[in-house]
Amino acid sequence: MTEPTPALQIRALSKVFALREGALEVLRDITLTVDPGEFVTIVGASGCGKSTLLRLILGLDRDFRGEIRVDGVPVTGPAADRAIVFQDHRLLPWLTAEANVAAALLNSPLDAETRAREVREHLDLVGLSKFAKAWPRQLSGGMAQRVAIARALVGRPRFLLLDEPLGALDALTRLRMQEELKRIVAHEGATALLVTHDVDEAVYLGHRVVVMQPHPGRIATILEVPPEARADRSSPAFVALRDRILGLLGVGAIEALAV
Amino acid sequence: MTLIHSSPAPVPFAPRTARALVQSLAPLGALSGQILLGLSFPLALLALWSLGAARGWVPPQILPAPSVVWQSFLDLCADGSLALHTNASLIRVAEGFALGATVGLVFGAAVGLVPALRAWVWPPVQAATRVNVLAWMPLLTLFLGIDEALKVVVIGWSVSIPVILATARAVGDVPATLRELGAVLNLTRAQRLRLIVLPQALPQIATGLREGLANAWQSLVIVELFASFEGLGYLMTWGRQLFQLDLVLVAMAVIAVLGFSLDLSLRAVERWLQPWQTGAGHGR
Repeated sequence: MTEPTPALQIRALSKVFALREGALEVLRDITLTVDPGEFVTIVGASGCGKSTLLRLILGLDRDFRGEIRVDGVPVTGPAADRAIVFQDHRLLPWLTAEANVAAALLNSPLDAETRAREVREHLDLVGLSKFAKAWPRQLSGGMAQRVAIARALVGRPRFLLLDEPLGALDALTRLRMQEELKRIVAHEGATALLVTHDVDEAVYLGHRVVVMQPHPGRIATILEVPPEARADRSSPAFVALRDRILGLLGVGAIEALAV
Repeated sequence: MTLIHSSPAPVPFAPRTARALVQSLAPLGALSGQILLGLSFPLALLALWSLGAARGWVPPQILPAPSVVWQSFLDLCADGSLALHTNASLIRVAEGFALGATVGLVFGAAVGLVPALRAWVWPPVQAATRVNVLAWMPLLTLFLGIDEALKVVVIGWSVSIPVILATARAVGDVPATLRELGAVLNLTRAQRLRLIVLPQALPQIATGLREGLANAWQSLVIVELFASFEGLGYLMTWGRQLFQLDLVLVAMAVIAVLGFSLDLSLRAVERWLQPWQTGAGHGR
């Protein structure tokens, strides 16, 4: 039996921004493989190049050294097999929730009827079928972000990229959305790569956590998340892993949290 | 009613009743209060004018009394000449606005969307817009004569300038976040134009059009002062030459009212085009 093709293969990836003051190295020697159906989270302080990495995988920026392959094919630009949810929901204010989701299917080969059904199903999946005709400005931050998630998923991408998608939400909404995100991604069977600076979120959502260090952005280590940690935020496994990651990020000993 | 009939009511209650009445009208009051405030200033000016005329502060040949102006208005209405002049002016404004808005939208959009075109024509165009259309009139007269074509072109010219500037800026300045979204959603160029570029440009373009409409009325008066035999501007010239300032004032008032109502209509169209701004319309 041959090995299945990895959903994502990054090899020896480096990225340098040319600034007036000289070259700024943002990513150094990133190597990462993600299997189909896996949920990988990337955690690190700001400035470690997390968002840049996602832009490179999306194909928005093709100026890099190294190799990025999605399903074995080198990335040459944005394509329907990769979708992203940004930190800001980035809904178009002049389209209803429904039309915003449908915008992701404009160039899909599906017929109109199937498209309409897909849009309905995905709004239903994020629990917003009643708000199909609402304008984005009528939605709360959490609701708008759920529409953005529906928009990212409606084209059934092989790969879902999440760039701090819950970063702008309040703490309670954020916890609720973490549950939902986990459920939705599992339901769709998508491979997901989530960037966050919330260690709890990284541990709770990921099968594996990639810990990054800044200046230049590089991978410090990649940790497996034990199933019991992923299932329960108060399990000893969760707390141990979280503290270990916080230590790696230089947050040091936090006895108060190490129950 | 209750206030009037409650004569036996003890005096201390009266203020409270009045306050209750005011409070019950509060939702209406917010709007009508604004309208009243807006009306109070012109009404005060009118009162001052009447008083000045009655006291003879200004000679009536220079500033006729409001009643005289009103009488002239009625006379001009009765003999149909006001309708004739207003109609002539409205047609000129409509033609000039249509010309200027079309040229402005097409040219502005082209400059905003095609960087090469912008680099090529933008500096001279910007320089040309700094020169008031009046300064172009001698040159334009040589090409177009002094008839209707000149008037429509001058009005159109003054309309097109704010429309070109607003459209070029609005269409060219798509926020990076939205451009990125267009790329991520794999939209074609036409889809990006329809879904992203145009809707985000709409408010700025609408402002440009309204500014253009205001310019149209200003240019109208100027071109009609100059070789014409009908129109509100002509009525003003004629009134001035006959030293009938009441005619000038009637024409001014008609232009002000028409210009203001057309601006309000454009605003209404703008709101109707953007139901997402108000949350009304097709929303839930």
